[in-house]
Amino acid sequence: MSKVPPGRFARLALKVNAFLLIAFALGAAFIGMVAYKQGWFLHQSPIHFVTPNALGLNKGMPVKLHGFTVGSVSDMQLTDGGVDVTLLVMGDYLKRIPQGSYAKHAREAGMIGASVIDIIPGKGSQPLAEGARINFEPSRGISEIVDDFRRQAVPAFNEIKAAMANLSQAGQDVTQILAGLRQEVDQLPATHRAVRKLVEEATTATADLSFQATATLDAVERVASTLDRTVPPLSQKLASGIDSIDAAAGQLRKTGEEAQITLKSARPLLDKSESAAREANDVLSAAKRVWPLSDSFKDSGDGMLPIDSFEANGKR
Amino acid sequence: MRGLFALLILVTAACAAPKPPPEPLAKSRLAEAEARAAALARSGDYAAAAKFYGDALRMATALENADAIAANAINLSVVQQWLGQNDEARRALAAVLDDPRTPFSERRKLQAELRRAILELSVNNVGAAAVWAGQAERRCAGLSCEYAATILNVRAQVELESAHPADAERLATAAAEHAGSNAAERANALRTLGRARQAQGQAAAAIEPLQRALALDRELGDPRKILADLSELSRAADAAGDARAASDYRERSLAVSRAMSDGKSTSEMEALLRR
Repeated sequence: MSKVPPGRFARLALKVNAFLLIAFALGAAFIGMVAYKQGWFLHQSPIHFVTPNALGLNKGMPVKLHGFTVGSVSDMQLTDGGVDVTLLVMGDYLKRIPQGSYAKHAREAGMIGASVIDIIPGKGSQPLAEGARINFEPSRGISEIVDDFRRQAVPAFNEIKAAMANLSQAGQDVTQILAGLRQEVDQLPATHRAVRKLVEEATTATADLSFQATATLDAVERVASTLDRTVPPLSQKLASGIDSIDAAAGQLRKTGEEAQITLKSARPLLDKSESAAREANDVLSAAKRVWPLSDSFKDSGDGMLPIDSFEANGKR
Repeated sequence: MRGLFALLILVTAACAAPKPPPEPLAKSRLAEAEARAAALARSGDYAAAAKFYGDALRMATALENADAIAANAINLSVVQQWLGQNDEARRALAAVLDDPRTPFSERRKLQAELRRAILELSVNNVGAAAVWAGQAERRCAGLSCEYAATILNVRAQVELESAHPADAERLATAAAEHAGSNAAERANALRTLGRARQAQGQAAAAIEPLQRALALDRELGDPRKILADLSELSRAADAAGDARAASDYRERSLAVSRAMSDGKSTSEMEALLRR
């Protein structure tokens, strides 16, 4: 029979008890931490509303104020008027919800986001009391939105229908107009004969006019001869002016060519300046990296502008 | 001698840092935009700074750089608030506050929430400011973070605006204790403490913290805060029955106001002096 070494199981009960105690303490701490994270130690204030239709509302749904989560839906009970929904508001957020506020079933991103209960603050100066009842505005379902659209669209469709009917009646008027046109076309040969007669009378009148125009042309010829004498000196002056402008343009072209030559000769100098500047920058960058200069070039802070509570004074 | 020369070369070589690897182009552009925005903000060209912070925010978003997104969004909100564009400032912060997918650090989330609280309070949305300040405080882990004093100051101002001057005094006192080396927030706390005491009818007791705030703000060199301190001091002295001191503070605040070319404030102070 093997012998148990002395001291191995000495004070065994004490060790087991200590182990159990530590395990219990760890378990309690874990449960406590979970409870703290779940907000069980926070005072929570109930408020409630009654809705005839609780479709889309669930226990645990977040309650938001200004887009910030302030509580959740804690309970839903069927009552005479519909469903009594209890909201639990965390901590001292209840005093931020003024009287006259109401709850609204909303979605975080329009039609497709997660469902939330949005508290719309009222105009009251006093905060809501614990257990207060507030109004509730249910969200509109797809069928209600379609109904609403139908209500607005039907009058518009009726008007379009009436306009189409008017157009159809207008078609009869067009037929009458075409018949009138045809009558007018039938009368065209008579009109043609009348026009020819008018042209013949006009030819006679033109012959008389031609005689009078000959006299007028004589007068114009006299004026032209006067102009003929005046124009040559004027054209000579114009020619000399154009020569001067031509000379100036030549001079300008010459100056431009000289400037181009000067720029060509300056180009290497500019290139050298640019490379010198780049080298100087490299030298400076290297110097910045070398101790002890590197400490002098360190940026101060993390590039953040100050977050100063004085800015909260804005409009006061 | 030769050994000494070799040693000198060895020491010089050891001091030189190795050449850093070349930075990717997009990253260097982001850094350049951030640097230009910061320089423009320092020089007072806030409109141009906002443009570059906006560019930097877009680049950071394209690079999925969470820290740079948050930093540029917060800086953009600060500059836009200075420009009086509060809606744009709120939209800039939404890049952090309304994005649950990007893994922003707790510090950046806290900064964004605190900025949102300051922004809301500046436009008199006291309830929203309280909610955001409360959220920032929860993230500050028992007020042990670097922004504890700022959070307490915002909460003190919220209480003051909510007509709870006793709570405001308690919070402002705590803010002054938590300010540590942050002289700006200590001065803000002392100014709020003075305002809270004055709101409780303790005008004489309000003067001492206001004078300390003025001394700090003069060291910091921020004329807006100096003007605020002098205005509060003139009101407190007036309420305490010291007409001569009140007149002196009014004259000084008028001079500061004139120097800042703040026409509205000058006209207000001139109206007060004519009384």
